[in-house]
Amino acid sequence: MTSEHSQPTNPVISQSGVQDTPDGRIPVGKTMPGEEPMLSVQNLKKVYHTDGGDIEAVRNLTFDLPKGQLACLVGPSGSGKTTLLKCISGLMAPTEGEVTLHGEKVTGPPKSMAVVFQEYGRSLFPWLRVAENVELPLKNQGMDKTARREVVAEALEAVGLSHVPKSYPWQLSGGMQQRVAIARAVAYKPEVLLMDEPFAAVDAQTRADLEDLVRGIWKKLGVSVLFVTHDIDESVYLGERVIILSSSPTVIQEDVLVDLPAERDQLETRSSQRFAELRHHVYEQIQLAKKGFRPEDAVANANA
Amino acid sequence: MTYIRTFLNIIALPLILLAIWFVSTLGETSFFVPTPQALVETFFETWTSERFVSDVFPSLGRLMIGIVLSILIGIGAGLLIGSFRWLRALLEPTLEFFRAIPPPVLIPVIMLLIGIGDEMKVSVIVLGAVWPILLNTIEGVRSMDEVLADTSRTYGMNKINSVRYLILPSAMPQIMAGIRQSLSIALILMVISEMFASTEGLGFAIVQFQRSFAIPEMWSGIVLLGLIGVILSFIFQLAERWILGWYHGLREIEQAA
Ligand SMILES: Nc1ncnc2c1ncn2[C@@H]1O[C@H](COP(=O)(O)OP(=O)(O)OP(=O)(O)O)[C@@H](O)[C@H]1O
Ligand SMILES: [Mg+2]
Repeated sequence: MTSEHSQPTNPVISQSGVQDTPDGRIPVGKTMPGEEPMLSVQNLKKVYHTDGGDIEAVRNLTFDLPKGQLACLVGPSGSGKTTLLKCISGLMAPTEGEVTLHGEKVTGPPKSMAVVFQEYGRSLFPWLRVAENVELPLKNQGMDKTARREVVAEALEAVGLSHVPKSYPWQLSGGMQQRVAIARAVAYKPEVLLMDEPFAAVDAQTRADLEDLVRGIWKKLGVSVLFVTHDIDESVYLGERVIILSSSPTVIQEDVLVDLPAERDQLETRSSQRFAELRHHVYEQIQLAKKGFRPEDAVANANA
Repeated sequence: MTYIRTFLNIIALPLILLAIWFVSTLGETSFFVPTPQALVETFFETWTSERFVSDVFPSLGRLMIGIVLSILIGIGAGLLIGSFRWLRALLEPTLEFFRAIPPPVLIPVIMLLIGIGDEMKVSVIVLGAVWPILLNTIEGVRSMDEVLADTSRTYGMNKINSVRYLILPSAMPQIMAGIRQSLSIALILMVISEMFASTEGLGFAIVQFQRSFAIPEMWSGIVLLGLIGVILSFIFQLAERWILGWYHGLREIEQAA
C-alpha cells in the first residue's frame, strides 16, 4: 500500500467508533436485544506472573460472538491473541473478567468447543494414523464404532484427505497436517471453532486453499468461528467481521464489519474495490496499533 | 544384498576374536583357558536338557518375572509420580538415593526379611531393574508436549483415555530406553542373586563349576549367559521396532529435513 490513496467510498463500519451504522445495518458484534450471545468475553484481563515480573498480556477485552458468525481477530505479534484464545477455550483462567458460553461461565474446556492450533505438527498425535487422530475425540465421547467410522470418513472427505487415512501425520505435508487437524475439529461437531493462526506456517497456495476450506466448512456446518491471524488480507477475506487488537497490553482497537458478498473467491474478492478499502482500513489500524496508539474510548464503547 | 551386509557386520568381529583366541591358545596347556574347540565340546556336554530344566529355566523364569514386574511397577509408579508436580518434588530426591544403592548389598538384608527363596531373587532383580524404567517414565511424562496436552484437554479427554492415548505413548520413547538399560541390570542381578544361598540356577551352576575346578564348564556357563543377553536384546529390538515404529519414522523425517 502506498501512503497516497483515495478515501474509501463507503465508510467502514466500525463498532467501536460508530455506534449507529449509517445505512441501517446491524453492527455484527452487538447482539440483538433479548438475544443471548453465543460466546461472550467480558472485561477479560490476563497477567502472567513470571520470575522476571508480571507481564500484562491482555488488559481489557470485551466482545460477543453471535451464533454462526465467522469473526477474525487480528493483532500485531505478541498482542496476546494466543493468550486470549487459551482463556476463551478454558485452557487458562483469566486474571480478571470472564468468558461465558450460552450464558454459562467457562471454567474448563467446554464440550462444544474445538481448537485448531498453529503448531499442527505438535497438535496431532504422531503415534496415531490420520483416521485415528480424527477418531480419538469421538471415541472418547463414547460414540459407537460404526457411527465413528462414518463421521471420520465424512470429515476426511470434507478436507480432501480421503486418500490417506492410514498415513501417519508426519508423513504428510504441513498443509495436509493442518487439514487433518481441521478434520478432527469438524468431526467433533463443535458449536464454536477457535483457530489460532492455523495457516501461518504453510505456503501461499496451500493457504489460499485452506482459507476457502474454512469458509466452506463454516457455511456447511453453521458453526461460530473465531479465527486468529496476523495476516490482514486473510482476516478481511475470511471474516464477516474483523476485530483488531491493539499492541500489548491488549484492548480492542477496532471492530470492523466486513460487508463483502458471502460468496468469496480468491481472485475476484481480493481484487474488488471493497476488499481494498477494508484491507486498507484494517492495515491503517494495525499500523496505529503498532505505533502504540490506543483508542482511549475503546473500553468505554465496548462496554456501552 | 543389504541383508548379507548386515549379517557380515554382525559376525565379523566375533569371527576375528575367535581367530585370535584360536591362534593364541594353539599349543597352550593352561588349565584356566580352554581352546575354542574344547569349549564348544564342553558347552554341549554341560548344557544338556536336564541342566536346562534344573538350572537354566528356573533362572530364566525368575528373570522374566523380575523384568515384567520392573516394567509394570516402573511404568505404573512413573505415570503417577510424573503426573503430579508435588509428588515428584517430594519423591525424586529419595528415589535418587535408593537408586544409588547397589542392589547386591541389599541381598543379605532381603534374605533376612523374606528368606532365600525365589521371592528373594526376584526382589533383588526388581530392586535393581526398576530404577531406569521408573525415572525414565517420570521424565517422559514430565516432558509431555504442551500443545498436545492442550489439544487433549480441549477435546475433553478423560483420565483413562489420556493415559492410554496421550501420556503413555508420548513417554514411550523414554520408557523403552529405560527398559533397555533395565534388561542388562536384570541379567546381572539374576546371576548375582543365585550366588547366595542357592541350590539351583545359572549363577549357582557357574559358581559350583568354579569351586570344583571344572574350568571349561565354568566358561561354557559364561558363554551361555552371553547368549541369553544377546537373545534378550534381540527380542527387545523387535518389540521396540513394533512399539516405537512411529517414533523412528518421525525421527527419520526430522533428520532428513
Ligand atoms: N506462558 C507465558 N508466560 C509468560 N508470558 C507469556 C506466556 N505466554 C505469553 N506470554 C507473553 O504474553 C504476551 C502475549 O503473548 P501471546 O502468545 O498471547 O501473543 P500472540 O498475539 O499470540 O503472539 P504471536 O502473534 O506471536 O503468536 C507476550 O508478551 C508473551 O511474551
Ligand atoms: Mg500466538
